[in-house]
Amino acid sequence: MRHVIIGAGPAGINAAKTIRGMRPDDEIVVISKDKYVHSRCMLHKYISGERNERTVDFADENFFETERIEWKSEVAVTGIDAAGKKIICDKGDMTYDKLLIATGADSVIPPIGAMRAAPNVFGLRNLDDAQKIRGLAANAKKVVIVGAGLVGMDAAYALLELGKTVSVVEMMTCVMAINMDAYAAGAYQKRFEDAGCSFYLGKKVCGTGTSGDLVTSIELESGESLECDMVIVAVGVRPSVGFLAGSGIEVERSVKVDAHLRTNDPDVYAAGDAAGLSGIWPNAVKQGVTAAKNMCGENVTYDDIYALKNTVNFFGLATLSIGINAPEDGDHVEIREDRRNYKRVIMRNKTVKGILLQGDIRYSGFWQHLVKNEINVSDIKKSVFDITYGDFYGVDARGQYEWRVSA
Amino acid sequence: MKRIIIDAEKCDGCKNCSIACMEAHRDQRGGGLYTVDLLDPAIESRNVIVLDRKGAYTPIFCRHCDEPECVLACMSGAMHRDKESGHIMYDEERCAACFMCVMNCPYGVLKPDRATGTRVIKCDFCANDNDEPNCVNSCPKRAIFIEEVV
Repeated sequence: MRHVIIGAGPAGINAAKTIRGMRPDDEIVVISKDKYVHSRCMLHKYISGERNERTVDFADENFFETERIEWKSEVAVTGIDAAGKKIICDKGDMTYDKLLIATGADSVIPPIGAMRAAPNVFGLRNLDDAQKIRGLAANAKKVVIVGAGLVGMDAAYALLELGKTVSVVEMMTCVMAINMDAYAAGAYQKRFEDAGCSFYLGKKVCGTGTSGDLVTSIELESGESLECDMVIVAVGVRPSVGFLAGSGIEVERSVKVDAHLRTNDPDVYAAGDAAGLSGIWPNAVKQGVTAAKNMCGENVTYDDIYALKNTVNFFGLATLSIGINAPEDGDHVEIREDRRNYKRVIMRNKTVKGILLQGDIRYSGFWQHLVKNEINVSDIKKSVFDITYGDFYGVDARGQYEWRVSA
Repeated sequence: MKRIIIDAEKCDGCKNCSIACMEAHRDQRGGGLYTVDLLDPAIESRNVIVLDRKGAYTPIFCRHCDEPECVLACMSGAMHRDKESGHIMYDEERCAACFMCVMNCPYGVLKPDRATGTRVIKCDFCANDNDEPNCVNSCPKRAIFIEEVV
């Protein structure tokens, strides 16, 4: 049996590892556009110089050799012929018995002014983006970052480390608005400002000033003009599925998959951002593992679609956010705050719909289970902030923990 | 794989296990529990005992899970299963301090370190000792003990 995986991100690598674990003798091929396996969550650390090509690798050491996986790097897949079980690549075609599409997503660069064509405007998605940014940063003084989500803030952090003059433009009125409330976001904004960063919040980009090919300023609807030597656009991603046109594999915004992560073709699966189910690392890994098990003939569904969870850590300030971030009418909001901590919980009926912890996030992992499963906490007679896993404590026959929840 | 099995009924909340853990993770070993600086943030305990809703002691120790959510969440490769021992190990050098593992542990066992906020505090099964984990050795009630699980 020949398993081919397109993409060497968290879904692809973990799928390959899982298949090898189940099928010692099957042939496994990983195809990647990239020259290096890399964690995109660490690209900002590459830009700042804290890490190099080797230390942004998240796979085990000598992964491909140890696991006996054939890795075809720097190969672009241009099409699939699902009927003929063929992969069309720029460096020759390949066949497969089982195929996993784990191609991830691409940065979206909006068609504003010269943004899409200019050689000094970048997304921050792949290592080659980070390499180009680091290369150009050597001679750049002023950098504008469009988008103050996690990726934009990561980029801002890296460029501040390099001593650049950084301006961040964001349509929302606070930074990282998806991850936290305005108060918690303000704590980060302050720290970034103290490090020299300027913010243009609640503002829209409407054009670019150019000199030759290069974008030399970002124009805002407010009339402000931000001079720049380089622009990083971090406004979102789109599943990387363009090569599937005409393949016979059904695609909408992303590859269409069932609960088994199987496409309309029974031998083709998709996982990670390409499958469009959720855009965070742990879920991509789980999807890669799930798809791999099914490719090996198991019958496993992917159920953990919960993706309203994230952590943020800048300037030594950590934040954890699970669940909804904006209370609705009738929700009960509680806040607990001291000099070092800000905690906010959103309660609905007898359950926790959202928890935000900034500062001390120790022992907080249990919140995800509590929020995701809408567990009734009304019978716990203490402040919701003092709930721990101990309140649901249980140990199974093999010594593993399990959640004990009263009906 | 060896696992620290917990018999919470036997726990009387003495916290010997926590002090033993601190003792096992300080640079200068030896001298016993009574020489541990309980306020030293650099050696905080990997385990903790909390009270449940009825006031009973619940020892919270890393389970080195069969399906470790911390490993799934790790985007740097720092959190991994050791092939020989089967334990879930943490490689501080590789860690990028994103704390997704802290978020993803369904039992809230993990935490960022208090001293620097740049690494994760995680049970290493006292891997550097040629003995049972220090917490197990120190429990006067045998509420925690080692068992081979398959």
